[in-house]
Amino acid sequence: MRRLLAGLAVGAFLVAASACGSSDDSGTPGTDTSSGGTTTVKVGIIPIVDVAPLYLGQKKGFYANHGLRLSLTTAQGGAAIVPGVVSGQFQFGFSNMTSLMIARSQNVPVKAVANGVASTGVAGKDFGALTVKKGSALTSAKDLEGKKVAVNTLKNINETAVRESVRKAGGDPSEVNFVELAFDQMPAALDGGRIDAAMVVEPALATVKSQGGTEIASSLVDVAPDLTVAMYFTSAQYAQKNPDVVKRFQEATAESLAYADAHPDEVRSVVTSYTKIPAAVLAKVTLPKWPAEPNRASIEALEKLGARDGLFKSAPDLDTLLP
Amino acid sequence: MRGTDTALGAAGLAVLLALGEAAPRLGLVKEAYFPPTSRIAAALGREAGDGAFWTALGDTLTGWALGLTAAVVASVAVGLVVSVVPYLREATASTIEFLRPIPSVALIPLAVLLYGTELRSVLLLVVYASFWQVLVQVLYGVRDVDPVAEETARSYGLGPWARTRHVLWPTALPYVMTGVRLAAAVALILAVTAELVIGAPGLGARIAVAQASQAVPDLYALVVVTGLLGLLINGGARAVERRALAWHQSVRGEVAV
Repeated sequence: MRRLLAGLAVGAFLVAASACGSSDDSGTPGTDTSSGGTTTVKVGIIPIVDVAPLYLGQKKGFYANHGLRLSLTTAQGGAAIVPGVVSGQFQFGFSNMTSLMIARSQNVPVKAVANGVASTGVAGKDFGALTVKKGSALTSAKDLEGKKVAVNTLKNINETAVRESVRKAGGDPSEVNFVELAFDQMPAALDGGRIDAAMVVEPALATVKSQGGTEIASSLVDVAPDLTVAMYFTSAQYAQKNPDVVKRFQEATAESLAYADAHPDEVRSVVTSYTKIPAAVLAKVTLPKWPAEPNRASIEALEKLGARDGLFKSAPDLDTLLP
Repeated sequence: MRGTDTALGAAGLAVLLALGEAAPRLGLVKEAYFPPTSRIAAALGREAGDGAFWTALGDTLTGWALGLTAAVVASVAVGLVVSVVPYLREATASTIEFLRPIPSVALIPLAVLLYGTELRSVLLLVVYASFWQVLVQVLYGVRDVDPVAEETARSYGLGPWARTRHVLWPTALPYVMTGVRLAAAVALILAVTAELVIGAPGLGARIAVAQASQAVPDLYALVVVTGLLGLLINGGARAVERRALAWHQSVRGEVAV
């Protein structure tokens, strides 16, 4: 009886294992599947407006022209993307610059390869802003001392940006109480008075504005003119082993970014294919900028501010991080 | 009796829906963040007309079914082996009690490292969570075997296989079925959670996209779908349980005489 039951147990595990194994029809992780000269690469992205150039470039054939096929995999933020890229589940990923610099300063082998998204650089007309609710007594970032301010992730790019806005307005950022809240929950929290101000990005920014909320600072603009907010990256290992794929991804992405920047209407239309942003909101969304190249001076400014706020264990080496 | 229950259940649901419609209309809650039932229903209709919604539903059900099946098969097999071999039972007791309370959600970083945002990430969480639900029930079930019945079967010369088939299994089955019913619900919760947090394709990922897109009625519509799915799964599990146990009780009745 024992032998029989042991056999049953082994059998069950095999069934379980093969059930898990059979779901893998997308190729071994970390290996490219090539067919007819086309390389398929998995890109871990967040389903937001920022990554529209990838969808557009895929649709327009820019990637196909460079022998690439993108398998766009949406993930919930950097929590899944950075480990996914480092462990080889994705060949490329999308992440904000501060997260990449933090990763680099902790010796996580990430390598930025192509520009992602940039601030518009125009105060009051950016895709991210420090906002307060309708009729709030707060009119300047300086007024945030002693107030509750929401950022999507503590100790990251948006906190750095808000701190800089407060500093520029003549206030003391260490007096601000930062709380962590997802972007999509900020409009309701602001409206309900649970927070005093929120650093929001689109489309939550459009929602805040539609409820009469106002901007008191364009924090991403306060960090540096034309701030490079996010970039596409890969793992150092993958970059070393596949310099050709990386180069083709860079070239195709640069073309896609330039095309997206020049065709905002097509961007708005492609966004509806992978988000559920209601048409009324989408029409009011301020699009970011998509320069083909990252702005190194702005990244250095972001690094200095991050270092000042103690975000990095050791100074991230920008020469190894940036392309 | 069942008719009354159904009627009461329907009435309860109707009151809930009416409250959901009235509260935002009367301004008790903000319509922008808590849309009235009718707008959620309209969003539900839009979802039903979208092919991507059905694909997402299929992905979620695939993760649920594969994960639950693997967990049930593995836990029943492991449970029987562990309970029948006294040494194993003692050797594994503390390990099981240590592993069981670990929340599946805590394994998310591990799942992402191993499998990225693929179905396998979902399966890892679903199988882990469901496995213990059934395993513990199997262990209790086997412990409940009547020693007199076991000895009687032995003295009548029944072999190990026959004893398992006629004494052990019928006793353990009600426990196993309870475990499966609990695991079915847990598996759904974990499948949706994994999709929501990791971004693996499915209803959870669709909820996350709706949330990030400020599409509030769509968000609620999808949440309603997961609720309905839970209701269906629970109803199905209960039906299976009733059938399995009806058979079991008739057999037990004959033995007891």
